[in-house]
Amino acid sequence: MPRYKIAGVVFDAKIRYKYTARICKDYEYDGEEQPEFSTVITDQDIASEKALAEDFPEPYLEGLALFRKLCDYTLSKADGIIFHSSAIAVDGKAYLFTAPSGTGKSTHARLWRELLGDRAVMVNDDKPIIRYQDGKFYVYGTPWTGKHNLGNNMRAEIKAICKISQAKENTIRKATPQEMLMVVLNQTVRPTVEYKMDKLLGLIDKMFKSVELYSLGCNVSREAAELSYNYMSKENGDEN
Amino acid sequence: MKIKEGFILREVAGSYIVVAVGSAVKEFNGVINLNETGAFLWKILEKGAEKEDLISALLAEYEVEEELATKDIEKFIEKLESAKLIK
Repeated sequence: MPRYKIAGVVFDAKIRYKYTARICKDYEYDGEEQPEFSTVITDQDIASEKALAEDFPEPYLEGLALFRKLCDYTLSKADGIIFHSSAIAVDGKAYLFTAPSGTGKSTHARLWRELLGDRAVMVNDDKPIIRYQDGKFYVYGTPWTGKHNLGNNMRAEIKAICKISQAKENTIRKATPQEMLMVVLNQTVRPTVEYKMDKLLGLIDKMFKSVELYSLGCNVSREAAELSYNYMSKENGDEN
Repeated sequence: MKIKEGFILREVAGSYIVVAVGSAVKEFNGVINLNETGAFLWKILEKGAEKEDLISALLAEYEVEEELATKDIEKFIEKLESAKLIK
């Protein structure tokens, strides 16, 4: 059974499709650490993914089933949150853009890469995993990198979460935990078991106290990226 | 009236929210935001109460005219009923 290390979690997974093996290739693990869990993706797992997203081919659904198992494990055992977002690290600090699908979070991350060049590294463009470790929140790359296939097997400490909406004029401000809560809850995999739900809510509560929160209205332009990067990176007195 | 099983109220990041857990997720898979008064009434409805109980509880807790309290509570109950959160 192949062994992987994703979001810092070592596990064995029995998979059948080459697609899943290919997307997970960068995360194969042959180190000393023992696996924390072992999983087999069954027909039943694939069928339940199909019930949620029937238009996708089976190999892709197997990948999603594996993702769901990893999510469930990380939330219950590893203080992990799945967060549908585009995560980009600049000078080692991570910024997470979130919005409903189609709003432009990937596009805004691309504008940052164009603006910042080599200083900006994509952690993950679609489904990163957040973990709370040693009193800090980190974002990890995963094999599920979105339609532009952007991401790396890495982690970075989270500096800020920014919700994006489309606007004619570019504006940015601090966001309140109240307004960010609904966004985050709608962009995460919510567990159905009560104690796991409480764990998730507790982690979000803690995260909002330790990372910066922003709300950005933007168009697709270099100016939009300049505004958001300059504003968010300068908080806490950082000069860039 | 009573809140249906599986709908839980939590205070997170300074907000009151209601989410579904267990089999209630099949009925409702969203997140509801409540204000402080909403959360106050919700807690009473978790144990089961009639409209009159809610009105007197609200009058005892907050400085508010009875007429306004009644209106607000009726609106609140209507919302819960349309979201099928109470039985």
